Amino acid sequence: MRRFRLPPQILRLVLLTLGIVGTYLVARTLLVPQSFGEYGWYRGAALEEIASHTPVFAGKKACAECHTDVAQKLAHSEHQTLSCEACHGANREHALNHDVVPAKVPNSFCLRCHEANPSRPKWLKQIVVKEHYGEKCSDCHLPHQPSQSP
Amino acid sequence: MTTGLTNAVAEAIPTFQGYVYPNEATSHPVWSVLIVVYPYITGLVAGAFIMASLVRVFKVKALEPVYRFSLLTALAFLLCAPLPLLFHLGHPERCFEIMMTPHLTSPMAVFGFVYAWYLMAVLLLELWFDYRRDLAVWSRTATGFRGILYRLLTVGVMDVSEPAVKLDAKMAQILSIVGIPSAFLLHGYVGFIFGSIKANPWWGNPLMPIIFILSAMSSGIALCVFNYLVLTWIRRREVDMRCLDTMAMFLFYALLVDAAVETLDWLHRAFAAEEGFQVMQVMIREKLFYTLNVGQAVIGTLLPFLMLGSLQLLRRRVPELARRRMIFTSAFMILIGVLAMRWNVVMGGQLFSKTLRGVMSYKFEFTGGEGWLMGLFLIILPFIILTVLVKLFLSERLHASEPAAQGGGAV
Amino acid sequence: MKTQVSRRSALVRLGAAIAGVLTLPVARRAKAAVQNFFVSSGAPKGYDPTEHKWLMCVDATKCIGCGLCAEACKKENGVPEGPYFRTWIERYIITKPKPGSVETRGETLVDSPDGGMHGFPECPVPTDQIEQSFFVPKLCNLCEHPPCVQVCPVGATFKAPDGTVLIDKNYCIGCAFCLQACPYGARFLSPVTHTAEKCTLCYHRITRGLKPACVEICPAEARIFGDLKNLAADDPLQKFYENNRTEVLKPYLGTAPRVLYAGLDEEVR
Repeated sequence: MRRFRLPPQILRLVLLTLGIVGTYLVARTLLVPQSFGEYGWYRGAALEEIASHTPVFAGKKACAECHTDVAQKLAHSEHQTLSCEACHGANREHALNHDVVPAKVPNSFCLRCHEANPSRPKWLKQIVVKEHYGEKCSDCHLPHQPSQSP
Repeated sequence: MTTGLTNAVAEAIPTFQGYVYPNEATSHPVWSVLIVVYPYITGLVAGAFIMASLVRVFKVKALEPVYRFSLLTALAFLLCAPLPLLFHLGHPERCFEIMMTPHLTSPMAVFGFVYAWYLMAVLLLELWFDYRRDLAVWSRTATGFRGILYRLLTVGVMDVSEPAVKLDAKMAQILSIVGIPSAFLLHGYVGFIFGSIKANPWWGNPLMPIIFILSAMSSGIALCVFNYLVLTWIRRREVDMRCLDTMAMFLFYALLVDAAVETLDWLHRAFAAEEGFQVMQVMIREKLFYTLNVGQAVIGTLLPFLMLGSLQLLRRRVPELARRRMIFTSAFMILIGVLAMRWNVVMGGQLFSKTLRGVMSYKFEFTGGEGWLMGLFLIILPFIILTVLVKLFLSERLHASEPAAQGGGAV
Repeated sequence: MKTQVSRRSALVRLGAAIAGVLTLPVARRAKAAVQNFFVSSGAPKGYDPTEHKWLMCVDATKCIGCGLCAEACKKENGVPEGPYFRTWIERYIITKPKPGSVETRGETLVDSPDGGMHGFPECPVPTDQIEQSFFVPKLCNLCEHPPCVQVCPVGATFKAPDGTVLIDKNYCIGCAFCLQACPYGARFLSPVTHTAEKCTLCYHRITRGLKPACVEICPAEARIFGDLKNLAADDPLQKFYENNRTEVLKPYLGTAPRVLYAGLDEEVR
């Protein structure tokens, strides 16, 4: 019986192919991150990394922990849906370290929401500055209880 | 400071008209010149390979003189194909991820494997089987770097006996047959990358991979024509007119089918006139006027179609010199036209907003990672590599042997 | 010749096997070194993504276009300056039809100057010519079948078990395929990290029991946020989707966006 002899070209190519595929498989075990595939086709560790970013805003609850009286007044006013940091800016620094002084709210900040604009919904109280009052809004409106005067 | 002022002014100038999503209003498109060059290059590879396979698979004897040259052209361009992608990535050092964790729902994920398959299992292997006998013969006489190279490339298989050579030819033919769908996959997946994006009405349609493949074929054949004429001119040899005429014939029919399917795409868009159609018309009129109407339609399709078509009708009645000139000009125009087509596809899809009510104005830089100069360099680089390959493997000082590489006036 | 070839090939095979065995401990050490790169710290422990299903909805009838949300988002997430927005506000101004024409509406003007993050300038159309005008906050639509995830070639963007669609910026190669695939324009390529970036629902906040910055800051309750797996009593999110006729953006694309909008108009894309 004639022994089957693999032609040298084919043999070498098969060896070369096995070598390449073998290198690829070894590379895979080295280079695919360990947490890959934990939850799906991605690195499971990414969830932790993304969640590890430090927050910048403190959140209304954090402010209310110390400023309970203001929070109380606010909760019963028209501005109850506002978060403190909407006007006072991001203040996590201050919440963590009370020596950090929050920035002052600029006088014209009220206009950011209340300046009359036809695109704004009708339920919002809007004013045209020229027709309303030219000085500080807080002259007549308490910021935390806007329908009351100082 | 002046820079501050210029930057402020540049930002103040609106980069769009109508309404675009704020994230779309960047000054440069996300997919720029490099992403235009990449499908151009892989298209040339696929087209050149298909033309070579006409010899082995469809036994078109007239094309034998350009068989090896076509394969070497395909190789030169294929080696450069990953470069525009690599330069475009935000993190090229992470490029290996595409092969380590390919996300198989993504057409782009197949790139690593399709490229590796096509380069190693199809193109290099077919070239190896075709050249092996010659490499074995050359390695015995060549000295220095060339000698080492030829010996390495034989992979130690020096058998030049009749049965071994017969096996080589048989393997090369099998690879040629396997190579045709592989070439379609190599370039078709790029078309599918665009065709699969349902968010973009300029791109997302099923004709896209087909249009890409067909324009690839006409550009690849045009490249082979162009290269062949340039090479014979450099070497001051006589052009094999039978070969050239056959190439021109295939080029004409490739162009015809490509133009037909692209026209079908146009007709359907105009007929259906879906919501995006209006903003696309604005975009074509204002942003793509020259590249589409002049570049792709007139220069890339109409003029070559007329020239090559008339040659098909009149054939030998046209004197040889005129035929050569017409074929060369047509091939060159098709090469420009297909590049323009890639531009129109890639840029067209980004110049109008996904809001369908805005059109962007993008700036294109000359220098820089994604500039014109880089694009030009990446198109020229394969020609440099091809020159090296021709010097090493297609030199007239080396005597080539049967079966596929001979013929009168052969390169 | 025959024995030479088979002996040679056997030796080659043996050599390859030995080399493979010898490299294993080296490979293991190298793998650990590579993986150390990916391990992080400082993330909230005890958060199980499979126990939550986050959702944000938008009530466009409430949005007053102050843009505080877009500004807060940029601050909270360190979004680069320029045309890069994780969330933005669009203003729609639908004008009255020209006198004498038999149309129901005139031209529609849409704008989003700087994403709306500094508020909106004066209305370009006089009030008496406006038929409808409103603001629409936009963000990642938290699709159930996100096309952006589908097209990512390496698995750098993904739908987390808790319903957020996130980007692993240490794995993203910056190919921008996901930017092209998102029908809503929610993604951008960061000029700082050279990776894709988008709204993460303030993942670093919601995993700590806080609300996303935009929801926290919105003075008009136009953004409603909640956990579908842990609905509170009288949950505003539940009240929103139970009491409103809602729509989603571009439903015909089959992305199944989960973000519900109330108060949209046919002109909104």
